[in-house]
Formats: sequence, structure tokens, C-alpha cells
Amino acid sequence: MPGQSSIFGLRLTPITQRRLANFRANKRGYWSLWLFLGLFVASLFAELIANDRPIMIGYEGTFYYPVFIDYPETTFGGFMETTTEYADPEVREMIEEKGWIVWPLIRFSYDTVNYELSVPAPAPPSELNLLGTDDQGRDVAARLIYGFRISVLFGLTLTVFSSIIGIASGAVQGFFGGLTDLFFQRFIEIWSGLPTLYLLIILASVVEPNFWWLLGLMLMFSWMALVGVVRAEFLRARNFDYVRAARALGVGNATIMYKHILPNAMVATVTFLPFILNGSITTLTALDFLGFGLPAGSPSLGELLNQGKANLQAPWLGLTAFAVLAVMLSLLIFVGEAVRDAFDPRKTFR
Amino acid sequence: MSLLEIKDLSVSFGDGAKEVKAVQNASFSIDKGETVALVGESGSGKSVTALSVMKLLPYPLARHPSGSITFGGEELINADEARMRDLRGNRIAMIFQEPLTSLNPLHSIEKQISEVLFVHKFMDKAQAHARVIELLELVGLEEAIERLDALPHQFSGGQQQRVMIAMALANEPDLLIADEPTTAVDVTIQAQLLKLLNDLRDKLGMALLLITHDLGVVRKMADRVSIMNGGYIVEQGNVDDVFDNPQNPYTRRLLAAEPKGAPDAADANAPQLMSGENIKVWFPIKQGLMRRTVDHVKAVDGVTLSVRRGHTLGVVGESGSGKSTLARALLRLEYCTGGIVFDGERLQDLGEAAIRPLRKRMQIVFQDPFGSLSPRLSISQIVGEGLKVHGLGGNAEERRTLIAETLKEVGLEVDMMDRYPHEFSGGQRQRISIARALVLKPDFIVMDEPTSALDMSVQAQIVDLLRDLQKRHGLTYLFISHDLKVVRAVSHDIVVMRQGRIVEQGPAGEVFANPRQAYTRALMAAALEMKADDTGVVGT
Repeated sequence: MPGQSSIFGLRLTPITQRRLANFRANKRGYWSLWLFLGLFVASLFAELIANDRPIMIGYEGTFYYPVFIDYPETTFGGFMETTTEYADPEVREMIEEKGWIVWPLIRFSYDTVNYELSVPAPAPPSELNLLGTDDQGRDVAARLIYGFRISVLFGLTLTVFSSIIGIASGAVQGFFGGLTDLFFQRFIEIWSGLPTLYLLIILASVVEPNFWWLLGLMLMFSWMALVGVVRAEFLRARNFDYVRAARALGVGNATIMYKHILPNAMVATVTFLPFILNGSITTLTALDFLGFGLPAGSPSLGELLNQGKANLQAPWLGLTAFAVLAVMLSLLIFVGEAVRDAFDPRKTFR
Repeated sequence: MSLLEIKDLSVSFGDGAKEVKAVQNASFSIDKGETVALVGESGSGKSVTALSVMKLLPYPLARHPSGSITFGGEELINADEARMRDLRGNRIAMIFQEPLTSLNPLHSIEKQISEVLFVHKFMDKAQAHARVIELLELVGLEEAIERLDALPHQFSGGQQQRVMIAMALANEPDLLIADEPTTAVDVTIQAQLLKLLNDLRDKLGMALLLITHDLGVVRKMADRVSIMNGGYIVEQGNVDDVFDNPQNPYTRRLLAAEPKGAPDAADANAPQLMSGENIKVWFPIKQGLMRRTVDHVKAVDGVTLSVRRGHTLGVVGESGSGKSTLARALLRLEYCTGGIVFDGERLQDLGEAAIRPLRKRMQIVFQDPFGSLSPRLSISQIVGEGLKVHGLGGNAEERRTLIAETLKEVGLEVDMMDRYPHEFSGGQRQRISIARALVLKPDFIVMDEPTSALDMSVQAQIVDLLRDLQKRHGLTYLFISHDLKVVRAVSHDIVVMRQGRIVEQGPAGEVFANPRQAYTRALMAAALEMKADDTGVVGT
């Protein structure tokens, strides 16, 4: 068909094509997206980049993959039945006598303590610890990679779930209006008045908050961000002629909402997503900074910031955490701006 | 020497590959005391031509590659902004289509009218006040003199347009440009406004440049006419010559395009298909802390009507008369009281789920072809949706065939199936809407102003199509329109509505030939002959 093009086998409507073109026209946002995706995908493979276990070992003609499988020391001629400590220089020598080792780029995982430091922790950047170590002797670069991953994953999961809930509830309120809308809106007003931080502190005293606890609790309050926009779109669209026409055809409410109105409400929603993602990441960082976040020992940017604050004599801690956060959040904002441009029907590009 | 002389005028927007040539080599002139009409369909460049006289185009995006505009012997094409400001609102004035958006909603009408007097005539407050009263008398708005502090929204559409005219005439311009001045108002108001403009032109001896798509208005008002099509003036001359003896094929087509003819005779004893008895749609007005219902807006107030199988019932009335609400109520798309019987079934007693199977037998086509098609669905999805909902048309392959056949039947190409609504013109979209209703093989279709948003030549095609489909499938229509010419061309019976009630009903021929009620007579005179009513049945 003329004028049609496709991406991943999906046919693109001309509107989508125009939006893609507009998105690309915002050079800063376009490159930010690729840069961010690159960083994120790389961090997904953090275990292969920063780990205290080798990626691969050749020993007596057999290949071993310690990153994925635990091998007892006896495999390599040791005496212990426990999992091999590859960082131990004696073990390393033992293996290299009869084989070879492929190490990851950084030879520390996020929780590996470097016992060979020549200065007290936090140690400044050195050849071995490129960004220095934190106050427990753990490698900052490794913790950054893992911390970045967990931040973005947390942000993404929170964004996806809060969008789903937010869109669904906004859609119901806007479409049915009347009393449904009235009660839901009052409920949201009361609900949004609850102090999130205190709830988290209470939670922290009852259970040890992990990734999912935090996600659940944040989700209880973050879904309200999208309700307003989606509700407004549905309120507007429910009286459009094409919705009336669908009703005259005998189409049910659920189908009308999903097929006729939702695609039009998605414009506002998609525009908001990068900013919600940003907000989610910032929230997790703030909680970690205050000490109410992920369990102690988890790699987290907030915790690194807190260490930076506590160890002003070790500026590499604070500076690194700040730089990573600033770059990540800026990239997302730039992407968000480009998305906003792409969906703006009035925007003209020269 | 003419007052305004336009020679070889071209207007382009943008340049290079994206250049849009809106007007090309247009030439015409207007003398004092003369009315010249620029006629054309939407997009023909008539408004752009008028705006370039005022130099109100978005320069420098807009350019004039060629041409000259002389006004009273002065070349305006290169005139600077200061000189143009001197002329605008002073010697050349303009009125626009939509009065409510042309007036500032936050300023009183006195303030708005006197602004031009302060700017150009340097009057003081007392002089301006006197002049405003004089102007309001001139445009026949005596009742507004007591309400000079009122804001625009407190006036009706016709009154607002009169305020606009008063503003335009404040400095007794030599040239008045009227851009579709009556398109947004009802026919009875239109007749009054046209009469006013004509009287004022004679009284003040000014020239009137009238831009319109309505050939009836041209014939009534203009001395000379220029027909525009695709940016070119294709024909010009005296109105009588052009109308009686058109030379250009486009002009001929435009003149022939008026909806004409009458519906084919229908069986007078056919059974009743749809009837409504004492239908009321009242919207409550709630006030106070407890939201008590203090009164109702009676959109439809006790209407009784019926349509026989194979007949067309035309419902006419001005905006706000409740005709669209009535239609929606009949299809149970709007809550109402009263009795609705569709082919023996009492719809009023049925719940939403029980009505659903009946929906495939009664369909609706809406006025706005741009709003009634979901912008994100392809044509085949739009047309096929009803089939899917009702489980008709077999499997996907058979459904596609059925959709293709229906598209062909309404005069569209089959290969349009996988395209999206925004790729189509207004007329094509209206055909898609009709196909969506038709594919279900309904008995009864409500046509809610199906032609009002379309260009004249397209209107006639749609009317022909509707009559043709009725004959082929034995369809029954409820045809709603404010345009009496269209209604006359399709209806067997007529209902005239006003303020939610039926004023008059009967067989179409009888009502048109011999209207019994004064309101019907005023409506007919205004719509068919553009004659203003002077008996006072209609307001301003």
C-alpha cells in the first residue's frame, strides 16, 4: 500500500509515522533515548560486567561457568566442599596452574568487600577500584551498575502498574460520570491526603521492606497521577458522535471504552509516562537516602548518596552518585520532551 | 475608476516544495454602492482573497507572488503596517462568520463598538456614547440601547451579528467585507441579516464584498459574482448572466448541484414502523445546596409522531428546536418518557441488553462527518464493527466481502478499506457513515443533518444516494435537517418543530404548498426565498 511503512511487522498508521518523525526531529530526545536504552540494557547484564566470579573457566580441558553455576572448591582440586571463593588469590593460582580464567570487566560484585585495600575504607579511586570504594570497602562502580539497574527496574514496574490502575480508574470515572465519578473523586481526594512517608516508616517497623513491599506501598499512592488526565479525556469523548454511533450499533460499554475512547486517551497518557518514571526513580532514591528503602546491603543510589553525605572527606562517593542520578534523570526528561513534541498535533517542524 | 481593484492577485503559503498556492491570478473590482459576491466551496481561496485586501494574512508565511490591490487609487500590496492600520476598521471594515468568537467575551458591547471610534475618530466618551446609540438604531438593535453594559454572550446569535455589523459600520467605511456573515445563524435570522446588509449598503452608499458558499444568498444579494474553484476565479459577471447562462463547466455543475427533485412515491397504507407518543426529554436544572430540581430544560416536550415503512419523515426546525434530541430519544440513546413502538415492540419497556439485538435494525447517521468516525480505526473496522457485535456476516473473510460490497454500494472504492478516516473528504466520510449503518441491513435509519456539514455539490450527491438506497432496500428514514431544500427533496411527510414542540405536521407536499401556521410560513419564506419575516413570529 502506498504511504504505508512498517516496524517489526506492524503496519504504521500515517499518524504514527508523523509522530515518529516528530520524535526523531527532537535530536536531543532521540539520542537520549538510545543512550538511556544502551545504559539500561547494559545494566541488565550487570552480572557479566561486575562480578566477583569469573565468567568462564577452562580447567583441565573442561569449561566451567561460575557466573551461572556454583562449583565447590573440590572441582578445582581444593579441599572445601563449599562454593569456590574465586577472589581468594590461592584459589586463583590453583586454577591458573591447570587452566585459565575469563574475568568480568570489574572483579567485584555489589556486595564484594575488597580486603586488599591499602588504605582504610572508603578508599579513593585506584586502578583496581575505578571509582573508589564505599565505607565498607565495596566497589563503587559495581554498586552503581547494580543500583542503576534496580532503580530503573523499580521505576519501570511502578510506572507500568500505576498506569494500568490509573488508566482503568480514570476511564471508569470519566465514562460513567455522575455518582461513580463523584464518589471516586472524593475517595481520591481523601486517599491522596494520607502521608506516604509515615506509612513507610510504620511498614519498616513491622516487616523488613524489600523490593515488592516498597513497590506495593508506593503503588497504593502513585496510581492517582494519571487519573485526572484519563478521566478528562473520557469525559470529553463519551459524548462524541463516534461513541454515539457505536452505541447505536449496539456495542457494549467495555468495548466502547477500550476500542473507541482509550486509543484517543493514550496520547495524554504516553506523554506523561517518562515523567512518571522519573518521579518513581526519585522516590526510591529518596527513601533509600532516608534509610526506609531497600534492605541494608542492597545496591542503591540513595544509599550511596547517604554515604557521600556521611563521608565528606571522600568526595568520590557523593560526586559519583550525583553524576549518575543527574545524567539518568536528565536523559529521561529529554526523552519525555521528545515524546511530548511527538504527540503535539499543533507542533510544526521546519 | 473602481473603489477596489484587484489585478492578477496570487497568494502562496510557504515556499519551495511545501508551497501552497491558495489563490492564483485573481482579478475583480468593486464600485461604490455595489455588492460583489465571491462564491466557492471550502478551500477554494475565497476567504484568503478577502483577507489579503485587509492584509490580515499571516505574513511572511503568506506571500503575494504577483498582483496588485488598489483601493481608492492607492496601491495596497506593499503598504506598510501603519497605513493598513489606518484603513482597517476605518475605510475598509470586515465582519466574520462566527459572531461569538469575533466579539471579546469580557468587554461590554458599548466598549467594543466605541473602540474603533476612539482609535480612528479620536472621539471623547460622550461623543462615542451618542454614536454607539445611533449605530445600534441603524442596525435595528433598539432593545440593546438599554443594555449597553451587557456582555456578548447575553445576546442571541443574530443580535451578536448585528453588534458586529454596528462595529464594522462605526466609521462609515467605503468597503465592507462580509465573510460568510450568515452561515452560523438560523435561516430566519439569516433573512433578516441579509435584508439589513442590503438596506445599509443603499443607505451608506458603501461597497459590499460578500463571501459565501450559498448560491441562494448570492442571487438575493449580489450585483456581480466571481466563482472561485481551486484558487482560480473560473467565471465572473453579472449575477443574472452567470446564473442563467453559465459558461464554465464548474459553474454549471455548482448551479446544478442544488438538491432537487422529490422522493419516489411510497405506499400510503404501509404499516407503521416507528412511532413515538408524547415523548418528553426534560433536563433538570438543579440549584442550591441540596441540588434540588427547580425547573427543567424541555428539549423535547410532548411530541407524537409516526413513520410508515418505506417512508421518509422530515423533521425541520431551527437550532435548539429539539430535533436531534428527539431522534436520539427514539433510538433510546437519550433518556425520555413517553411511548416508543418500533415494529410492534415497545422499546420503552426494554432494558439496554434487550434492545441490543434490535439495534441492528435501527441505525443513525450523524451530521459531522469528522466527529462521527473513530480516528484510530480503519474503514473496514469502522464499517465492520456492527457486524462483529451482532455476530453477523459469518467469518472474517465473508465479513470483508460484505463490507466491500457495502462500500461499493455507497459509491466508494473497495481499496479504501484499510485506510483511515482522516484521509477522506467530508463527502466520502459521510458515505462511510452511511455504509456503517447500511451494512447491518437495517429497516430504519435516522439521518441527523447528514448534509449540513458538506459542500453544496456534495450535498446533492448524498441526497441522490439516500433516495437511491431507500428505493433499493425499502428503507425508512427519519430525516432531520434545518435545510428545507434538502428536506423537500427527500421527505414524504414533514414535522416542523420549535422549542421542543411540533408546530405543524402533514404530508410534505401539503405543508410546503400550503403552510397553515405563521411560524411555518416565516420559516419557508426565509429558507426558500430568503425573505425576512415582518410579522414578528420569529425573534432576532
